Amino acid sequence: MSAALGGPERPQVVSHVQQALSYTVFDCKWVPRSARLLCLGSVARGTGLVQLYELHGARLELLREIEKPKPIKCGTFGATSLQQRYLATGDFDGNLNIWNLEAPEIPVYSVKGHKEIINSIDGVGGLGIGEGAPEIVTGSRDGTVKVWDPRQKDIPVANMEPVQGESKRDCWTVAFGNAYNQEERVVCAGYDNGDIKLFDLKTMSLRWETNIKNGVCSVEFDRKDINMNKLVATSLEGKFHVFDMRTQHPTKGFASVSEKAQKSTIWQVRHLPQNRDIFMTSGGSGSLHLWKYEYPAQRSKKDSEGSEMGVAGSLSLLQNVTLSTQPISSLDWSPDKKGLCVCGAFDQTVRVLIVTKLNKV
Amino acid sequence: MPVWLREHSWRQTLTAVYLSLPLRGARATPANIFCGEQYLKVSIPPFLFEAVLYAPIDDTNSTAKIGNENIFFTLYKKEPSMWDSLTLANADKEKLQCLRENAVLKAQEKAKEETEAKKITKQEHKKYALEATMKLEEAERKRIEDLKEKERQKVTEELELWKNQQKDGDKYKSIQKKGELHQEIEPLKERKNEKSNKTQIPNEGTSKTRLKSTKGCSCSIFSQNLKEEQLPAPRAAATIKVNFTPRVFPTALRESRVAEEEEWLHKQAEARRIINSDLSELEDLKEEEKNPDWLKDKGNKMFAMGDYLGAVNAYNLAVRLNNALPLLYLNRAACHLKLRNLHKAIEDSSKALELLTPPVPDNEKARVKALVRRGTAFCQLELYTEGLQDYEAALKIDPRNKNIEKDAEKIRHLIQGTMQSS
Repeated sequence: MSAALGGPERPQVVSHVQQALSYTVFDCKWVPRSARLLCLGSVARGTGLVQLYELHGARLELLREIEKPKPIKCGTFGATSLQQRYLATGDFDGNLNIWNLEAPEIPVYSVKGHKEIINSIDGVGGLGIGEGAPEIVTGSRDGTVKVWDPRQKDIPVANMEPVQGESKRDCWTVAFGNAYNQEERVVCAGYDNGDIKLFDLKTMSLRWETNIKNGVCSVEFDRKDINMNKLVATSLEGKFHVFDMRTQHPTKGFASVSEKAQKSTIWQVRHLPQNRDIFMTSGGSGSLHLWKYEYPAQRSKKDSEGSEMGVAGSLSLLQNVTLSTQPISSLDWSPDKKGLCVCGAFDQTVRVLIVTKLNKV
Repeated sequence: MPVWLREHSWRQTLTAVYLSLPLRGARATPANIFCGEQYLKVSIPPFLFEAVLYAPIDDTNSTAKIGNENIFFTLYKKEPSMWDSLTLANADKEKLQCLRENAVLKAQEKAKEETEAKKITKQEHKKYALEATMKLEEAERKRIEDLKEKERQKVTEELELWKNQQKDGDKYKSIQKKGELHQEIEPLKERKNEKSNKTQIPNEGTSKTRLKSTKGCSCSIFSQNLKEEQLPAPRAAATIKVNFTPRVFPTALRESRVAEEEEWLHKQAEARRIINSDLSELEDLKEEEKNPDWLKDKGNKMFAMGDYLGAVNAYNLAVRLNNALPLLYLNRAACHLKLRNLHKAIEDSSKALELLTPPVPDNEKARVKALVRRGTAFCQLELYTEGLQDYEAALKIDPRNKNIEKDAEKIRHLIQGTMQSS
């Protein structure tokens, strides 16, 4: 890791707007095709709140505030079309709801999907990205990962649950990937005991699993809509792993490179939508690190028995900045403007940041 | 007795006195010269020259030049006047002494003042240097801040520009939508609403194709809608069963008390490797009878069938082969209980408990069993207090076991009964 991060050619993270909130924000998301962003969280009196802000110059203007009976943990726009832009949310009670923000009193789709809090949610098939049916996956503290189709009520289209009698582990994060045609899709789930499992939805089977010893806080594929390329998994105690997903070895699985960036938990990883080799990790010490992955000269090689195995590349730290003293728990890049991102931290502020010079990286 | 130097010669002007003092072979250094306001002394043991001057002089500016065999003093008078003589004549001893002392004191004070002044100037210099560096650093920081500000402003402008573009773009698109295809959209919208409220499927496929054929136009909005309707049906619901990574201890890295558990594992591994071989007697045993685990299983089976003596034999042999397996002692204790060899039972349970340290969740069950068996043995020997202690310890480890609770209660009643009667 180079230390000279102040040079004129490095990407700089500029804090554009800072907005103090009166509630705990758990997730923040850009509304696609607009300069608006959503903050989802939990108010002190135990109800959930969705706030819609618009970016006006150097400040955020509150357009709308929607209160819901249960605190909201996570949300995604991944499974809606660009015209509708419905928000799918998971709340503390295990309910999955899809809301039309123009008419938020009644959800467009609602199901009590899990017995405990939904920790993480992801959507695929919407927003003109990827192919295939729009689907939403939720991972919950009750150890199950369920995939929902908004056209089918009540019953998930896929359910990854522990074997009968097995003690459950909390699922902390889920992500979709490999959705490059109508049939293919995988779901990657990370658990609190360090398990990472990759489920193939076309064959409805477990495709790969591994254990990275520390609880997995966040997983993300670099792109959902291409043949699986890279997967980043972040964990407690400051470590994260980047797996090269192009070559699966029958016993060794996927090749990986890991980096220990900070002493604290790495809460989130998000890839830049415009460049899939750049991603940002947010940490428990309130810092953000911007990384670039470099591919190795040869992405796969033959091992002693002649089976293909992947070769992991290398990581370089482009920039890091400390914005807060509390963990930054959520991060989202704007899909429309390169370098614009929003992050929400546990110090009850949401910040809009601009990362400059990403073109020159 | 000092040797007085008296061969000095002097001359004067209005403002200064020039004194020349020959040193008879003595070597002088600045330390030997002492000069006060009205007192001059040169002391090079054993030589001594002393002069109480006629009038006060300016001792800070006066100089002394040490040359070959000579000290040449240049004394500047405080008040310009011609002196009658170099020294004060008619000075009595006391006055002389006073003057001497004053001179010394004054010299000391002056020295002190000088050091103070030096200190102060030093501090000032330091401060100045510090301020200078701070200014430099400030300037540097400011430069960087300015650069950052400029970046920010540039980026903010770009953002505004982009936003406005977006808005215009959206407006244009929405106008287009509204103007041209308003009526066509309506039936589509209705169907969509129905769909989202029902559990649907392939029906829309057919209705959409009808619509498509009647329209036959390839506007972008339409093709998008069509793409939507060509979505595959929702997957057939299926369940994938998962197993979580087995660990020796069912807790994640951050939760486990690793050190203790490692110790326990280590101990177990060690225990299994012990072979207390006593070759002569064991030679005629079959191969499998030399394996403590096999013997333990044999013992368990015999216990289950009621052959307690046989079980004890099996365990005895196993213990002879490996005396560090706690389970052997535990099971043998159970046999002894059944055989009413209560003291032996207590011994074995105690040994088992000893081997079951450090206390970790893994050997909880074993520890509970050992404590309960020992408790029972105590009670049968009518040592109720000890028995109760063991039961309570067992209850602490496993508070949810109803049998242990019941038995503990019974013992308590018994104790109270005997206490009352005695």
